[in-house]
This record gives sequence, C-alpha cells and structure tokens, in this order.
Amino acid sequence: MDRKSVKVVVAGGFGTGKTTLVGSVSEIPPLTTEEILTQASVGVDDVTGVEGKTNTTVALDFGRITISPDVVLYLFGTPGQDRFWFMWDEIAQGAVGAIVLVDTRRLGTSFPAVDYFERRGLPFVVAVNRFYGECLYSQEEIRGALELDPSVPLLWCDARDRDSSKQVLITLVRRAMSRLPVG
Amino acid sequence: MANLAGAMAYDVWDGDDEFAAGRLVPLYILVNGQTSPRNTSLDLATQVVALPRDLNRLEPEYQDIVGRCGAWVSIAELSAFLHLPLAIIKIMVDVLLEQGYLGIGAPAQQQIQDLRLLETVLAGLERL
Repeated sequence: MDRKSVKVVVAGGFGTGKTTLVGSVSEIPPLTTEEILTQASVGVDDVTGVEGKTNTTVALDFGRITISPDVVLYLFGTPGQDRFWFMWDEIAQGAVGAIVLVDTRRLGTSFPAVDYFERRGLPFVVAVNRFYGECLYSQEEIRGALELDPSVPLLWCDARDRDSSKQVLITLVRRAMSRLPVG
Repeated sequence: MANLAGAMAYDVWDGDDEFAAGRLVPLYILVNGQTSPRNTSLDLATQVVALPRDLNRLEPEYQDIVGRCGAWVSIAELSAFLHLPLAIIKIMVDVLLEQGYLGIGAPAQQQIQDLRLLETVLAGLERL
C-alpha cells in the first residue's frame, strides 16, 4: 500500500526546546512513547549510575503533520539523555534530516548532535532558539563554536511560534533536496 | 504455523491469575518471549491499518491494537496510545501483519532518495 511516512529528527541538548518545537507545528499535542533499554545496548551506552535498574526506559516525544492523503510527516525529538544513542539510530534511520536546536547559553550541549549527524551523513540544519530573548552571538561566532560546515544552514527561530518552526522545517527539506544526486 | 508467537494469538487468556494492580498479562507473555520482530523493516514511523477481519480469536491486547488501526496509524502512535514499549508493539504488529489482520504502508527507506516525495513534503509544509 502506498501510505508513506516521512521522519524528521529534532535534536539538541537538554532544555533547548525540542518538545516545544514539535508541539508548535504538530497537528496533535506531542505524544510520548517509551523504549526499553535492552541488554544489547548495555556496553554501548553508559549506564553508570543506573546499574540497579532492571527496567530502564527511554521516553521519546513526537508529533505529526499530515502532508497529503498519502504522506504523513513525523517529528521525533531525541531522548533527553545523550547516552541513549541506540534510540538516535532508530529515529535517524531513513529520516529526511534533522533539526539541531541550540541554546546559545549552553552551546556545548548541542555539539554531540551536530557531531552525530555529520558522522551519519544525514542532512541537518541548526536552529538557534531565541526563547530567552536576543542572542548575544553572531552567526559566525556560533558557526565557529560548533565547527559547522559552511554549507549547513543556520537560522534563528522561536520554537514556540508555529510559523518560525515551519520555516525551520522548510529549510531542512530544501537542504535535503539540495543534497540529492542530480538526475 | 511454526511460529510460536503467531500460534499464541489464537489462544484465549482466561484471566484467572491477575495481578493486584497493573496489567493482567506480563509483556514477555504477550510476545511469547520474542525479543525482536521478524520483519526488521518495521520502523517506529511505519504506518499500519486494520483489514476487515473477525477479531474474536485474538487476545484482548491484540484486539486493542487492531481497534486503534481503523485509520492509518504509526507504530510510535500505537505505542503511545496503548502505553506499551516500542519493542513490544513492533513484535505484536508483526504478528498481526503475518496473520492478515493489518495492512502495512511503505517500509522505511535506508536513505531518502526520492525527490518527488521531498517536493510533496515541501509543498505540504508551505501550505501549513
């Protein structure tokens, strides 16, 4: 059957506004699903401090946008804890691309996300969330700090604002299209 | 049917030894100890839809899933609606697909290479 799902990853450090952005463009209030941390991921993930827990679960927030009668876009926020990389792999698999949200007060918390998508070769855009008011840094300073490739789009956004979040998504899809082989 | 999880869906749970609180059937019983679906293309965004079938022979937990699939719905949404972990939902959906209770949408791609699909998405977003 020709029912298609399209995935977009919404990443960034803790408190950068991932769920806010998902909620502002989603046609449903963000839903939460859970995955169990399996034995297979022990050793890959750093489980220091949670050794005593037998049922470690990872929460995942997501939303949806109906694009056409056949196509639904799902926005998946990455788990708050960076150590659950196995969930990132599942979300990123087959995704159009990723939005990396940045809070300039804690730029470093978004670095693992940039690094992950670069290594994976997944198209991504960096969106600086101006939730907390004016940004003190220039685009060049942020690019430099995140060691961004000049071709990676960097834009300001307000994750609470539907139009602003929509523009971030549109920028990402254009970026993904530009990376397709010609012909 | 050689598959144990498949055969299990035909048994009827008599509900005798229920727990004091919480779910009646432990999760590992629901999926008969399976830890992964055989259909590995099942992705958390894969959508499924109920096919016209008599559900009487299905266990209640499986009926709940089919009951949520009146319109196309993703694995992630089923997991959220039914409060079951993704890994469990995938295995149960896999069983229902194999037994013909559910239809499946386009499988997740390794990499999006479909320009027309991206154009559709772009147009859809611009209409928002």
